[in-house]
Amino acid sequence: MRDQVKRFRSGELRALGEIAPRAIKIALAIAAAALALAIVAATFDEQGPRRFFFSYLVNYAFYLSISLGALIFVALQHASRAGWSVTVRRLNEILAANMPLLAVLFLPVAISLFLPRWCPFSWADAERAAGSELIAHKRVYLNVPFFLIRAGVYLGLWAWMARFFLSRSVRQDESGDPELTLQMERFSGPAIVLFGFSVTFASFDWLMSLEPEWFSSIYGVYYFSGAAVGSLAAVILLAIALQSGGRLTESITVEHYHDLGKLLLAFVVFWGYIAFSQYMLIWYANIPEETTWYLARQTPAWLWASLALLLGHLLIPLVGMISRQAKRRKAILGFWAAWLLAFHWLDMHYLAMPSLSNARFPLGLVDLGLLVGLGGLYVAGAIRVAQAASLVPARDPRLGEAISFENV
Amino acid sequence: MADNVPQLDSSAGALKVAAAIGRFASAGALKAAAEAVRDEGYRHWDAHSPYPIHGIERSMGIRPTVLPWLVFGAGLTGAAVAILLQWWTNAVDYPFLISGKPLFSLPANIPVAFELVILFSALAAFAGALLLSRLPQFHHPVFASEEFRRATCDGFFISIEASDPEFDEVKTTGLLEALGAESVELCRLPAAAPRLPRAFYTAAALAVCLALLPPLGVAWYRAAPKRQPRIHPLHDMAFQPKYKAQAASDLFADGRAMRPPVAGTVARGELDEDPRRATGKDEAGNYVTSIPLAPGAAIDKAMILRGKDRFRIYCAPCHGLAGGMPEGAAGEDAEKWQGMVSIRAARRAAGGEGTWTPPRVLTSAYVQDQPDGKLFETISRGVVNQEVRTMPGYAVQIPREDRWAIVLYLRALGRSQNASAGEVPPPVREASVSEEP
Amino acid sequence: MTSPAIAISDNTSSDPRQRAPLITCAPDCALITETVCRVVEREKTPLAWYAAFAVSSSFTVVMFLAIGYLFLRGVGVWGNNIPVAWAWDIVNFVFWVGIGHAGTLISAILFLFRQNWRTSINRFAEAMTIFAVMCAGIFPAVHIGRVWVVYWLAPYPNQMQMWPNFRSPLLWDVFAVSTYATVSLLFWYLGMIPDLATLRDRAASRWRKLAYGLFALGWRGSARQWHRYERAYLLLAALATPLVLSVHSVVSFDFAVSQVPGWHTTIFPPYFVAGAIFSGFAMVVTLMVPARAFFGLKELVTIRHLDNMNKVILATSCIVGYAYATEFFIAWYSGSQYELFAFLNRARGPYYWAYWTMVVCNVVVPQVLWLKKCRTTPWIMVIVAILVNVGMWFERFVIIVTSLSRDFLPSSWGHYAPTRIDVAMLLGSFGLFFTLFLLFCRYLPMVAMAEVKAAVSHHPGSDHRH
Repeated sequence: MRDQVKRFRSGELRALGEIAPRAIKIALAIAAAALALAIVAATFDEQGPRRFFFSYLVNYAFYLSISLGALIFVALQHASRAGWSVTVRRLNEILAANMPLLAVLFLPVAISLFLPRWCPFSWADAERAAGSELIAHKRVYLNVPFFLIRAGVYLGLWAWMARFFLSRSVRQDESGDPELTLQMERFSGPAIVLFGFSVTFASFDWLMSLEPEWFSSIYGVYYFSGAAVGSLAAVILLAIALQSGGRLTESITVEHYHDLGKLLLAFVVFWGYIAFSQYMLIWYANIPEETTWYLARQTPAWLWASLALLLGHLLIPLVGMISRQAKRRKAILGFWAAWLLAFHWLDMHYLAMPSLSNARFPLGLVDLGLLVGLGGLYVAGAIRVAQAASLVPARDPRLGEAISFENV
Repeated sequence: MADNVPQLDSSAGALKVAAAIGRFASAGALKAAAEAVRDEGYRHWDAHSPYPIHGIERSMGIRPTVLPWLVFGAGLTGAAVAILLQWWTNAVDYPFLISGKPLFSLPANIPVAFELVILFSALAAFAGALLLSRLPQFHHPVFASEEFRRATCDGFFISIEASDPEFDEVKTTGLLEALGAESVELCRLPAAAPRLPRAFYTAAALAVCLALLPPLGVAWYRAAPKRQPRIHPLHDMAFQPKYKAQAASDLFADGRAMRPPVAGTVARGELDEDPRRATGKDEAGNYVTSIPLAPGAAIDKAMILRGKDRFRIYCAPCHGLAGGMPEGAAGEDAEKWQGMVSIRAARRAAGGEGTWTPPRVLTSAYVQDQPDGKLFETISRGVVNQEVRTMPGYAVQIPREDRWAIVLYLRALGRSQNASAGEVPPPVREASVSEEP
Repeated sequence: MTSPAIAISDNTSSDPRQRAPLITCAPDCALITETVCRVVEREKTPLAWYAAFAVSSSFTVVMFLAIGYLFLRGVGVWGNNIPVAWAWDIVNFVFWVGIGHAGTLISAILFLFRQNWRTSINRFAEAMTIFAVMCAGIFPAVHIGRVWVVYWLAPYPNQMQMWPNFRSPLLWDVFAVSTYATVSLLFWYLGMIPDLATLRDRAASRWRKLAYGLFALGWRGSARQWHRYERAYLLLAALATPLVLSVHSVVSFDFAVSQVPGWHTTIFPPYFVAGAIFSGFAMVVTLMVPARAFFGLKELVTIRHLDNMNKVILATSCIVGYAYATEFFIAWYSGSQYELFAFLNRARGPYYWAYWTMVVCNVVVPQVLWLKKCRTTPWIMVIVAILVNVGMWFERFVIIVTSLSRDFLPSSWGHYAPTRIDVAMLLGSFGLFFTLFLLFCRYLPMVAMAEVKAAVSHHPGSDHRH
């Protein structure tokens, strides 16, 4: 049959090889320059260090979401014993295994808690929190030591889970032992449960508590839906980049792009569904302590960002990606992935920044510097993880199925 | 395989060949055969299988269906209909403010818009799939074949219809055999399309007419004028279990549906700190001798005129406009001084019909000598004389302040009947004297 | 089974090197046809079927008697009263609509996820969906009081010159549930057309041929028909997937757009959807286990199918547990004393037994499904599934009754207790559901034959591997 013709040939390049060290150097150089720029720009900003820490948090949440999305992707593929996704699973494992770096990058956020005047979290500043009964009520939960303990638990948990998947998967590259697949499958169920709770509370802690008097029980799901969009977009771009760099040219086929595109589209709709649900319920019930959050995002400076998200994060990609060809042509899919990654960043900005200022839309060199700077570090970290391993789970029992699979 | 060409039965004269069908062993064989049939240039043909075979569209050269575009169009229509409907009904034709939402509130319109997009699209997908496949189609040449029944179980068939310009009984069956068909058959149908029996049409027409009878009956019943109230199949809220005013009830010992107020009940606005105004008596139980006024009130002309007004409504029907015939008027026509009720009652009593106690003359000393509180009490509670009620109490009809106003007017009335000429203001006196004939 | 020569008795192996076979009998089209059609075509209806039918139809009669009584006397025959103005009627409505989510989920979402195992159970689950939605529709229809003017809900030009209020979540509900019922019915029927044609072509009697033939619409299984059919099926699946999410989300809006403590929380839409899938799958398992044994479908609906369904039940149970936990945390975190009270009142108030029944049945009991032994043992899974259904009924009871009975003003608190009519209608709705279900089992193809045939011929693990 035709599929037999498509049997995979092992001639393709499956490792980063010698370009890795150079790429790390370049990424680090860019990161250093960009971070320096951001720090310089922040010193000239009227809100100074607080502006810097806010922007740092936004970009941290952005890169973290990519790794988190990748982690849950890996766990879900194991839980559902998926065959099609084997060829792109390692890319996700690598992104997820960037978690130790993200744990280190959390340090500035932790440090900011000890600088009350500059801290993005108003509850950590006795001056700003003074007089608020609600913050006093939440003091049991929102206090610096407990916050740091929780952060440690989340990051440790994620790093451990990512390590679990990557190490077993890499070991299988050597041994081809199907028992390792079973181990990962068995671990994936509890991993998903732990993931759900940890991501929810992490998003409560790191983003929702920026406005400590406001609350929304769907917030964790909202952050997760954005993370799924961001990580799928990142993986699509990564796969395109690797293929144009001559890697994985055989294993990742148009069918995988098609499926990743379908998932991306599905999560775009899912994000829209969650965002609409939250908006609808708060808009309709019209309770003052809840509507404040949206009022801050409907000031003249922020309204356009809200509308841009509605259009750019939901309606435009929904129409643009609905056709089959949009998901099967690398160029078109790559365009939408980049588009959505940009809007996912805007989404993170939209979640955090209005509590800094809702009178103006802050976008400047600080944000750009931190976006590129943290991005450089993130890429360097990912390459360092990827250096040691093949870019495809070469002896996964379902690799053949993944390569020969076809969408109908 | 020549003997696969079916034998004609006795009625074959009326039949003509409508299609040739061949059965193949597997999906793969069918696909290969389909490619060959396509290459032969046939157009009115099809491949039949118990389940969809992937890739057979390419083998047969079927162009992709326009169905997705139909569905897309239907979805857009659904969205437009939903938004227009909600905007027109709630913001234009029947603007009704509810829960503080704008008349045209887009977030609230999204659920319905979404549902209509799905509904329209789904209906289009369903109807489109059937109509584009020319279904329902109960009559088709292939149904003439017994073996074709396997097409929905485990058989893979190719059918080529006789309407195809390339069709030739011998050549076409030959082609199917050459392609490896396990059996080949010619489907024959009557030359003329079968007709339903005439009785069917008669029965259908009758059934339609009968089905129309009930709605016609209902329409006639509702439209025709009737003397009797219409039948109320569902009572809705037209008839509710409830008591009307003055009705009897078994529930209470006194048999009345209406309940009197609980003893000691004070009506709103009637609670007064000064009991003299309510009862006409002071703390010791003696009648007050002057009218107890509400704080800030005063005895003035307005109060007298109010008392006059109330007196003429409530008192004059019995007592007469001047309060009865004064002693000095003896010999005059007594009825001239009396009220309408009193006149009529007296006439009837004179005729032996019932009894009548003539009302007191209000300007008499008997009345005028009573203290104000006593007068007030009499107006309020009426008169019972030797267990016969001769005057009803007016506390229910006349508000308290008005009763005091009547007392005031009674004093004015008494004064007017017992006044000396010197008390009359000069202009009035002159006017009345000059009017004397 | 007639040809068990190459049958595999256990297909629950998790060996990643090869896909377990979809069905445990031979992947032979004629055999699949025979197995499914035999149930419908048997000459004599089994006595057990009659017995079950007698019981379920008696309950149905009870339900219609209760409804008739309600029409005559008004909704006062129920236990609802201020402050608990919504009670069992809406509990039952949400319960049945929730059950009705499994069918379309299996047909649509699992179809989009290429889960071929759905083919053995989708027909069954879709039928269940439609019957459940019918049961659900009865409650809001009769709870409006004056049922004979139910058409006022529809936007139509009328002499009163009034229009429905489209800003009301209850009207969204009307649109959502009726759209869902329509689309589910279309989806079910479209999928059944090829199988009805199979029954038509196998029919021995003239009447059967006429009846099945009429509904088969002249289906010939031609490639041109299949092409459009498959495209329509894909489109309907793509449409039904967001529809499933929307329906229970809209149902959740009925509660969550209000300000009642315990109702107004933003996680309601996804939480309700997960709960609906949870209860729907539990109902499928409850019915499928006895049905596959009774009708001889064990080789088409294998233990592996049940295993997979139990995994979905476990996953949705965890989501529901997650929602309970998040709600509780946010109730405290919000600092709103009413919210916190509403949740403490659920756990410790007069309806604490309902709350703890809900938690135990929905969150604790399904955790046994982590064990493969429990996922593959029919009697265990039936017990779990029944408990899940009990728990999900109580979930709606807890949400509706506890929040309404004690909201803001203690002076207007109240207590709710159902009446006999309430109980009769709940039991009666089960009667209606099972009556329709039994008729379906007897007269319609319970397994989507054409889809199973397609799945086993294309399935990578089958002998037809290519």
